[in-house]
Amino acid sequence: MAGTTGTVPAPSRAPGAGAAGAAVEFRGVTRSYGAVRAVDGLTLRIAPGETVALLGRNGAGKSTTLALLLGLLPPTDGTVRLFGGPPEAAVRAGRVGAMLQEGRPVPRVTVRELLTFVTGAHPRPMDVGEALELAGLGGLAGRRIDRLSGGQAQRVRFAVALAGNPELLVLDEPTAALDVEARRAFWDSVRGYARRGNTVLFSTHYLTEADEFADRIVVVDRGRVAADGSGADLRRRAGGALVSFDLSGAPTEPLAALPGVGAVEIRGDRALLRTADSDATVRALARLDLIRGLQVAPAGLEDAFLALTAPAPKETV
Amino acid sequence: MFGYARLEILRALRDKSYVIFGLGMPVLMYLLFTRLGAGAGTEWKVSAMVGLAAYGALGAALGSGNGVAEDKGLGWLRQLRILPLSPRQVIAGRVLTSAVTVLPAIGAVLLAGAVVNGVALAAWQWAALVVLLWLGTAPFTLLGLGNGYRLSAQATGLANTGCMLLLSVVGGLWFPVGAFPGWLRALSSWTPANRFAELGLSVTRGGAPALTTVAVLAGWLALFGGYAAYAYRRAARTV
Repeated sequence: MAGTTGTVPAPSRAPGAGAAGAAVEFRGVTRSYGAVRAVDGLTLRIAPGETVALLGRNGAGKSTTLALLLGLLPPTDGTVRLFGGPPEAAVRAGRVGAMLQEGRPVPRVTVRELLTFVTGAHPRPMDVGEALELAGLGGLAGRRIDRLSGGQAQRVRFAVALAGNPELLVLDEPTAALDVEARRAFWDSVRGYARRGNTVLFSTHYLTEADEFADRIVVVDRGRVAADGSGADLRRRAGGALVSFDLSGAPTEPLAALPGVGAVEIRGDRALLRTADSDATVRALARLDLIRGLQVAPAGLEDAFLALTAPAPKETV
Repeated sequence: MFGYARLEILRALRDKSYVIFGLGMPVLMYLLFTRLGAGAGTEWKVSAMVGLAAYGALGAALGSGNGVAEDKGLGWLRQLRILPLSPRQVIAGRVLTSAVTVLPAIGAVLLAGAVVNGVALAAWQWAALVVLLWLGTAPFTLLGLGNGYRLSAQATGLANTGCMLLLSVVGGLWFPVGAFPGWLRALSSWTPANRFAELGLSVTRGGAPALTTVAVLAGWLALFGGYAAYAYRRAARTV
């Protein structure tokens, strides 16, 4: 396996597309706070229409990366481009909508008043009713935001991000305050919005969320891109799927030579094969008639994540 | 800018502390200062009215910075930064908000002067007084906003209250400048609050404000405006 800083080329990356075609482009971006480098030489390109997850531990540099992307922080070094121009220009043109992490509700205004203001500030907004509906706020338009529950307030922030009808939607750990059902509804809305041809970039530390809702996962670790690819790509790097079956006394020697198999483990009468290509392995097992109690476990993205990131934040020399 | 101002005006008018401190305090102080001591002269009733209307307006104007500091803590400033609004539009919206919330503070004291203390001025004088006191608050709004964008919520409250007290006292809004020692009187005439009250007092004397008065205020306006713009740009950076 390659070192932790290697990148898997993303399949969605169009060869030869110029910088002007990218929705988001980071080139060698560094952001230091004193001696600490929160973002350290980050290079990243996101094409229009992609849904990308920025996956990393707390403190990996996700929020700083998004603040740089939105022009809230100037980079110490390197360049950030949105739609080929500086972030401020894209923001000023209403092409970016964002849901920030720290946002607490603005006191003394209703949901509708806030959204009316936000749509009014944008050149090509959606109407307030549509934003309310997309964010699942139908019955709450007349309520004061500071009197909503945490989950409802979160949906208000989502509505604010959507209301300008942006081409690029940026969501910083968007589902933190949502319960399971609300989370489902939230991602349905995001998906619907992405399907209109918009670009979505969200940060998360939930592996399953990244896997399920993003076309592409960018693993960030210590301010760098540690890996970049689809969930399947990342799994493959960690050794793919885990295939297990009952041996029933069959010989174990040929197993290591089966297609795709990387490692073999025998537990009592059960064989566990770590494979990079579970389809080929299962087909080969079927030919050998070794399919009793066959199980294919979707290999841990968690394994992949742990393999791709450093075990604990430590000083780099 | 107008959409933003509209939202902030709604927020300000729904704030109870605005109603108490912005409107109630100056009226109460005016009545105390003019009614307690027996036989307050007409001149004092007029100058105290202008001084305390100016003080109320000053408080409301500086107070708009407290709201800004609160917004920063909420992350609302960062949200504004990623909307298609320029810093100038945001600050202009805030100044406009302040202009609207300052007006009742001025009106309340003038009304108390006319109704309770029987201050009699010509109609044009009342109108000019309101307009000049109203326009004259702009530098203080910008100072308050600058503090709000630059400092934490707590520090802003202290800084704005400190600025208000210092400027009011040195500017002669509470006590007539005539009671000051000579050196302080000279200094006082260069301070923004003093010139601000002078805008109004010149009207009650039946004249137009002197050019130097307007020039001094314009200088403070430019200075505080620059401070507010600088502070706003820095504000959204801090997480």
